[in-house]
Amino acid sequence: MLEVAGLRKVYDVAGRTVAALDGVTLALPGGSFTAVVGRSGCGKTTLLRLLAGLEDPTGGAIRRSSDRGEPIGVVFQEPRLMPWLTVNDNVALGVAGRLEERAAAERVGSALALVGLGAFAAARPDQLSGGMAQRVAVARALAIGAEIVLMDEPFGALDAFTRRTLQRELVEIWRAKRPTILFVTHDVEEAALLAERVLVMEAGRLIDDVAVDRPHPRSPIDPALLAVRERVLAAVTGAPEPVLA
Amino acid sequence: MIRIINSTRPWPGGRPGPARRPPLPFGPVVFAALVAAWWLASVLELAPPFLLPAPDVVFATARDLALDGTLFRHLQVSLLRIAAGFLGATAIALPLAVAFGLWPAFARSLDPLVEFLRHVPPLALIPLLILWLGIGEAQKLAVIILAAFFPIFLNAGTGIAQCDPKLVEVGRVCGLGRAAIVRRIVLPAALPAILVGLRLGFGYSWRALVGAELIAASSGLGYMIVNAENLARTDIVIVGILAIGLLGVALDRVGRILARRMAPWIRSELDLGRA
Repeated sequence: MLEVAGLRKVYDVAGRTVAALDGVTLALPGGSFTAVVGRSGCGKTTLLRLLAGLEDPTGGAIRRSSDRGEPIGVVFQEPRLMPWLTVNDNVALGVAGRLEERAAAERVGSALALVGLGAFAAARPDQLSGGMAQRVAVARALAIGAEIVLMDEPFGALDAFTRRTLQRELVEIWRAKRPTILFVTHDVEEAALLAERVLVMEAGRLIDDVAVDRPHPRSPIDPALLAVRERVLAAVTGAPEPVLA
Repeated sequence: MIRIINSTRPWPGGRPGPARRPPLPFGPVVFAALVAAWWLASVLELAPPFLLPAPDVVFATARDLALDGTLFRHLQVSLLRIAAGFLGATAIALPLAVAFGLWPAFARSLDPLVEFLRHVPPLALIPLLILWLGIGEAQKLAVIILAAFFPIFLNAGTGIAQCDPKLVEVGRVCGLGRAAIVRRIVLPAALPAILVGLRLGFGYSWRALVGAELIAASSGLGYMIVNAENLARTDIVIVGILAIGLLGVALDRVGRILARRMAPWIRSELDLGRA
């Protein structure tokens, strides 16, 4: 369980105080898949960075239950692979030194197998396609044994075909391993397609919490998902969107 | 007009394109042209042989100096000085660059001194170094260290400062500590800049060494050149210059091959460091 209470983050931008997060409270149950959607600049990425410990909050608190000291896995929008390391060593970045050698190798091997890149362990990042590189980033987050994985628009820079493939793979991984996933995206359809729950953000606040009670695999033209999409868009824009069906 | 831009075979039904020619070896061609011009100038006696001996005279002198061991004795002395000075400069400059990158307060306090020393040419310090250290090896070592220090230090510092903060964030979310982030992320990320600094530093130390040997030495390539000048042996002067240039090119080539083998992900960055 990951809990956030009254989280605030204020930046000083050219002498003006800007509240990127303005009192966010939420709870992510263990093994849940939650998406956060909203306009650019609404505070989604700031929320993720605070949860990952990359920035300190101005106010509020973040709490993890059953914290055994594992790092929180993070997948960024871009793969952020170390160009001097092989695929295997990139995935091992957070494992080497924390586990004994054989256990670390097993962990890395199974993470690579999970994302379908077992045969590319010796490849260098510049030899991978964008989709493969993002798979390596997912494997790196999984290999550290994280129970919580934060994903910041991880498929945003990929083409539609690769994105759809990786979306399916992510759901399969989630169903197999059951990590707690917080998935930040500005793509409402993607949020409805993947998550059990969609949180809507606007101006640093959570303004809606939509349950998506549909089994996987889901179809993007499922009327229930279209209804979720319509509700989210209406919450953000204040006006209902016409549904094409 | 239709033109095949890139293909491994002719367009179906089309005429085969012109065969790809390997690129001309312009480097050796330019070098050979210079030697030819030199030879022509000496044959036409555009300059007195005393000032510009013919290439065959110079090559004969080089052969004689090589066969009687004179050239290799001076070469060995210069190379040992270079090795000691360059390694000394590297051993001081790299840790200092890391310390500057990690502790801004430390960098701020030493920065004025470093900037002051950076603007003083090492050759201008030779008189002072002779007074302090004598005309022995210590003085030459100091000159080489001063010459090689700044390219290595400044490039390594730039590389460390320009390490992508996004990669450092990856280290943080992977649970790496500060020392592990420096060792596993910052230093490898800075390696291209460090290698450029090492190449520049090597070139600078080579120049400084010859300068130091020209002023006060009893051995080394610089001494061989200045001694030949005193004896009016222009051919030996040219042999010394050719030996310095060719050795520099050869050592630089070896350095680049080693760097490519050690760091295969680095490509064009290495070419920026031509000294």
